[in-house]
Amino acid sequence: MPAQALPPPCTFLAVGQAFAGTQNVSSSQTSRKDEAWKVKVQLQGCDIQRGYLCGSMEALNVPAAEIPVVTFWEGEMVDNRNHTFYTGKWDASRETDVKHWSQFPSFEPLRADVEKDGGRSLDLANYPYFFMRWKEKFFVNVGTDCGLTIAGFYYICFSRNDGSVHGFYYDPNSSPFQKLELKALMAGQSGHCFASYEFA
Amino acid sequence: MPASTGWGRPEDLVENLSSMDTTARLKALRDVKNQIIGNKTKKLSYIKLGAVPRVVEILASDAEIPLLVQSAAAVGSFACGNEAGVKAVLDSGVLPHLLKMLSFGDNKQVVEACARTLKMIFQSSLAPRSEMLVGQRMELLLNLLNSSNENVAEVAAHVLARCCESVEHQQAIVDAGGMQRLVTLLSGTIRRREAALDGLAALVKNNPQLSLQLAAMEQGRPLALIIKFVKDKIPRTRFLACMCLANISRSCPFCYPQEWDIRTSMLAVIVKLLEEPGQVGEESPIVLADIVANNEELQRAAYKFDAIVKLSALLQRESLPTKQLEGILMALAELCSRLEESRRQLLDQDPGKNAQAAIISALSHPSESVRVASCTCIKSLSRSVKNLRTTLSDERLVFPLFKLLDDPSPVVQVAALSAVSNVVLDFTPHKSVFFQCGGVSQLIQLSRSMDPMLRLNAVWALRNLLYLADMAVKEKVISELTVSTLTSLIHDPEEMVQEQALAFVRNLVYGSVDSVQQVFAEESAILIAVERQLCIACRPEGVYVLSNIAAGNELHKEAVMSFVAPVSQEGRNPSPILRFLQDMSNPQLRVAAVWCVMNLSYPDSPGAVTRVARLRESGIEQQLQKMVDDPCLDVKDRVKTALEQFTGLANV
Repeated sequence: MPAQALPPPCTFLAVGQAFAGTQNVSSSQTSRKDEAWKVKVQLQGCDIQRGYLCGSMEALNVPAAEIPVVTFWEGEMVDNRNHTFYTGKWDASRETDVKHWSQFPSFEPLRADVEKDGGRSLDLANYPYFFMRWKEKFFVNVGTDCGLTIAGFYYICFSRNDGSVHGFYYDPNSSPFQKLELKALMAGQSGHCFASYEFA
Repeated sequence: MPASTGWGRPEDLVENLSSMDTTARLKALRDVKNQIIGNKTKKLSYIKLGAVPRVVEILASDAEIPLLVQSAAAVGSFACGNEAGVKAVLDSGVLPHLLKMLSFGDNKQVVEACARTLKMIFQSSLAPRSEMLVGQRMELLLNLLNSSNENVAEVAAHVLARCCESVEHQQAIVDAGGMQRLVTLLSGTIRRREAALDGLAALVKNNPQLSLQLAAMEQGRPLALIIKFVKDKIPRTRFLACMCLANISRSCPFCYPQEWDIRTSMLAVIVKLLEEPGQVGEESPIVLADIVANNEELQRAAYKFDAIVKLSALLQRESLPTKQLEGILMALAELCSRLEESRRQLLDQDPGKNAQAAIISALSHPSESVRVASCTCIKSLSRSVKNLRTTLSDERLVFPLFKLLDDPSPVVQVAALSAVSNVVLDFTPHKSVFFQCGGVSQLIQLSRSMDPMLRLNAVWALRNLLYLADMAVKEKVISELTVSTLTSLIHDPEEMVQEQALAFVRNLVYGSVDSVQQVFAEESAILIAVERQLCIACRPEGVYVLSNIAAGNELHKEAVMSFVAPVSQEGRNPSPILRFLQDMSNPQLRVAAVWCVMNLSYPDSPGAVTRVARLRESGIEQQLQKMVDDPCLDVKDRVKTALEQFTGLANV
């Protein structure tokens, strides 16, 4: 991969940042309207140089579960240094990739390049949106029989400007295009506050 | 206890060592020697009975070969693996006699017995290193390097190597021609070449100047030879060559053209040598650690060569020699210092589960260096959120690790503190395990230490402990730490301690209004300390403290306003925060300052309009307008939002 610049830091892409919103479950099997359950995400690890993030995801008011279900996820940043727009695993073909990325309006200016050669020569460092993939790795507080699946992964579009997150869940065995929409939470009473840690 | 048949009473034997009768002397000597071999108790008892000076006397003044051989061997046996024995033989003045024999002795048996004995003495830390490098002794040793007797040459190199404890020692040897002589031996027999490699490795260790000197010597010919030996068919030669080159690389990276490629091929060789029996296998791990230290690419290569799998398997062997155990743990610490896949491999695989148990049990090892190595290994493994959330917050690890905060050795304490700093990040808000084991009290105590390293690492650990911690944890910590200690830390003489203290406060005031309120305790002592620090130096962490406070309630915002936009009789005053907004060397500082302003002008709060007016008067809006094209994207985005807030409130 050609040498690409490191993306500059973004306040919202920092450890400790919490996000909240919903995941839409459009079930084609039921006649009911789309269900949505509340989701809370917290960023716990962030290594921009390696294009790596991780954190927890909490699903509240899930019908099948008695308590909020917490999972641990790891993310890849599409930075053309460590990862590209092509997933190359998790049962996602290139067509799947392009189809999902195209769901995000902010992807439109990049689409031609990505369809041509994966978008490897795009300057993603200075783009106002981060594209990522988030994959849940294990359940933290429940067993695997809780009624939720973590077999798939999310295509994510993250806004630098206000930390809002849009995503689409992909799992060949689940209903397609389940939508994730999150906003960055302010932790303070009336303002935004920030905690930090540093590994020794 | 019945007397052993055929052997006299010990006291009699000792008496007979000084007998006038040669036969009696020889018999007594033989008997003593035979009794003490492999028997520590007997060694100590004969030392007590005063046998050693008499044996040394035989070596010094006797002429008959069997007596000389036996006495040399007996001295060696007394000294072998026995510090009391080493002391006894040294106190009896044996060294000059051994050296004389090695130089002038014409009997091969005698000379070789003396050589073995000298080697044994110099394996102990009690051996007088500085004394060997002075005047005649040094010349004598260097001459012995050229001895026609291989054993003598080997011992001379071995002794020189053990005498390289400081840069001064190393330089003294080189100044006397030692490097040249050792280099000459490189072209000799196998034993001589190995002796030379051993000696040269010690000369260049931690010495950039001498490393460079050796690499550049004779247009690189000796270096080329050493490089060739890395691929030699004899394992010990390969090992010594790797050790020598690793020492050069560590002291003086890139000091010769092909250094990078050589390091990679050394790596492959050393990984294979890990499983070699004997001394080579025992010492290979520490050399591996040296080769990959601070070098991510080599760590990645080592991972591909299965270094971790091999080390992990070795770790689970019973009764590993101390040196080998220390080496394995240090190698794992280096290999896992940067790469997540290495950490995963060590912890996730099935054999890995026992590796973890071995690392934990090494925390209680009698050897100080092993305890340090184990802490360092845990520190590396804990640089991973995933690991911290799964395996590393287990109390079977936490309890013994925290116990080391009380270790008698400060070196162990510092190593334990670093590991603790990461382990307290268990990403749960309750932290009960750390309180249960009394660890938090220990950290607080260490934060008051006179030793700056201990203080720094303790405050660092406390800072990480407070990360997203709940209110109960914060209250407990602050009440035990006390406001007064915290303010001293904020003004600590060491800059790095100040930074961690400010970051601690940032985490303290993060979140709820109750959290923010902490900083107003005891007449706002903590807040005042932070503000004072900000007047002295530009610290992003300090600005984040203000920013977090400004995210609180009206009173909190007003308190920050007093600093940011002080009201005075003269009216308009430049804001201290302008300095931060204007600092083009540090985008983090600018971002933190903009957030502070944004929080102060947060639209939904009652006093926002008044505050915005005051901020405007202090020149802040004007400064923000200059920043709309800030080179840092994050600053640019925040400035845009901040100005929108200002405009929005101005129109109210």
